[in-house]
Amino acid sequence: MESLAARITRREEVAPHHITLELDCPAIAHAATPGQFVHVRVSGTDDPLLRRPISIMLRDNYRGRIEILVRAVGRGTAILSNLAPGSALDIIGPLGHGFPVPEEDSRVLLVAGGVGVAPLIFLADTLQLAEQQHYVRGLLGAATEDMLVCWQDFAGRCEAFQAATEDGTAGARGLVTELVSEQLQRGVDIVYTCGPRPMMARVAELCAEQSVPCWASLEQFMGCGVGACLGCVIPTRLQPKHRRVCKDGPVFSASEVAWEELSE
Amino acid sequence: MTPDLTTTVGKIQLKNPILTASGTFGYGEEYAEFYDLSALGGIILKGTTLEPREGNPPTRIAETPAGMLNAIGLQNPGIDAVITDKLPSLSRFDTAVIVNISGRTVDEYAELARRLDPVPSIAAIEVNISCPNVQHGGMQFGVDPVLIRDLVQAVRGQTTHPLVVKLSPNVTDILVMGEAAVEAGADALSAINTLLGMAIDVERRRPVLANVTGGLSGPAIRPVAVRMVWQLARELDVPIIGSGGIMTARDAVEFILAGASAVAVGTANFVDPRAALKVVHGLRDFCGTHGVSRIAELVGAVQTG
Ligand SMILES: Cc1cc2nc3c(=O)[nH]c(=O)nc-3n(C[C@H](O)[C@H](O)[C@H](O)COP(=O)(O)OP(=O)(O)OC[C@H]3O[C@@H](n4cnc5c(N)ncnc54)[C@H](O)[C@@H]3O)c2cc1C
Ligand SMILES: Cc1cc2nc3c(=O)[nH]c(=O)nc-3n(C[C@H](O)[C@H](O)[C@H](O)COP(=O)(O)O)c2cc1C
Ligand code: FES
Repeated sequence: MESLAARITRREEVAPHHITLELDCPAIAHAATPGQFVHVRVSGTDDPLLRRPISIMLRDNYRGRIEILVRAVGRGTAILSNLAPGSALDIIGPLGHGFPVPEEDSRVLLVAGGVGVAPLIFLADTLQLAEQQHYVRGLLGAATEDMLVCWQDFAGRCEAFQAATEDGTAGARGLVTELVSEQLQRGVDIVYTCGPRPMMARVAELCAEQSVPCWASLEQFMGCGVGACLGCVIPTRLQPKHRRVCKDGPVFSASEVAWEELSE
Repeated sequence: MTPDLTTTVGKIQLKNPILTASGTFGYGEEYAEFYDLSALGGIILKGTTLEPREGNPPTRIAETPAGMLNAIGLQNPGIDAVITDKLPSLSRFDTAVIVNISGRTVDEYAELARRLDPVPSIAAIEVNISCPNVQHGGMQFGVDPVLIRDLVQAVRGQTTHPLVVKLSPNVTDILVMGEAAVEAGADALSAINTLLGMAIDVERRRPVLANVTGGLSGPAIRPVAVRMVWQLARELDVPIIGSGGIMTARDAVEFILAGASAVAVGTANFVDPRAALKVVHGLRDFCGTHGVSRIAELVGAVQTG
């Protein structure tokens, strides 16, 4: 794990309030596995004080770069998304435990919602390059066509891909979870999901009904990002119950998460 | 000439005055991935209770202007697990280890001290009478001088380890609390713990923290902490560990000038995992550029007249 100044090598607006940044940070790029994140200091001052956790969306091992996708929701991500190429960014990473590797030749289903697509793009990329012949299907949901961010990056790394929008402007009309049952019926060995909590909770429920293992990447406000402050815990069905998203996660087995106790 | 950074906090010998504040450094292991903890004067461990505790439900953290609120609620594996699982691996570092304890009752505090008494690897016990985040986290003791006296006496009776009593800033007169602790046998005082605060999510019209209120830490509280350290140091003849928003070596010097013999770096660890190490290095540089040969010269050296 490294703490360093990464140079921004590229910035791209991919949708309203969504940008991607490419960062030059060889040590992090080499060590990263899908599902891991970086903890980013958005400003050199004491305000905003805390770092912001952002998933690693892609890495270029050869050039020593990673790519992140940022959705500007508050003050920190607004500052982050306005940084110009050439500036240096103080980041720590790679942090957390990522997605476990599927068994050989698995039928894999990836279910993403909104910016939750970022870690699943990294996972799809890794599975595509893996020696085993996995069969990877991707689902991506968003409110409107505009918000299907980075869908080409995702679709291009899956054998089959389907989108859903709530207003029907692209793909199937409705929630992406409605496509999940259909996919499960066709035979799936393992599911990975990242997106809004209600979406992941529903995916977890559908997988449990079909006894398909499911791994979900969770979010929580963070203090330290490295496991020391116990600020980022989520309720689980394990003992002890509270587990740290930054260190024990962010990826958890969906059957271990106490979804009914998670707010929102 | 390298400046002499060694300091003593009563009977506690430290190679330099920089400690890490309880609850902000876990049990050291996460930060050992970033640097050799032997560079630190000491490590104050996460608050420990008699039995394991789950702590408060999330959300436990909120960001505020130049600060943060936390309501962790003393999640910890309990004193026996700390003694058997956490303390042994810390002995590989050449640094003072201080165990921070919290209880629901005077008896629980006394029992914690009794179990720690035979443990040779610790430098001191920090008695937390100031946690604002649990119903029985100590703050009910920390705001009443009579209770402080009873509690510190009971703990004192169970151990020969040096006792540091950590005071709450959530009082009208911190001096009265400090005096009570010293009279009852505290070897040193820690000041300050977090200030009770609250943040509201205006979209949802709900408190951000599940616990509703939490403890405010970070640069936002530094002036309050410096003032309280100064008030205590001016009146009481007892060493003080200062904490509250220390981010840089200059901030540490501010506390030392106010009267602190050592300081604890807390929230800054979250912002920069090497923050405490950088404060050690910065302090050495500060002494060099200011012609200070011994850090002890600066303790309480603020001129107010
Ligand atoms: C493991 C992980 C991976 C993430 N990956 C991405 C990603 O790839 N792209 C992306 O756009 N967003 C991602 N997020 C969410 C992102 O961290 C938050 O949107 C961001 O912290 C909000 O900060 P802000 O200052 O803009 O918002 P504010 O609401 O102003 O933030 C204030 C405080 O809340 C914290 N906070 C607020 N929302 C979240 C949240 N959802 N998760 C964690 N902390 C939060 C901030 O750290 C800060 O302490 C991820 C979160 C986690 C935990
Ligand atoms: C997340 C967090 C957890 C804390 N836990 C404890 C604790 O268990 N025991 C304790 O005595 N103080 C605890 N504190 C208080 C700190 O040790 C310190 O006194 C306070 O945060 C002020 O210093 P700072 O502003 O540098 O963080 C905690 C603070 C934070 C931010
Ligand atoms: S953010 Fe500190 S433990 Fe996870």
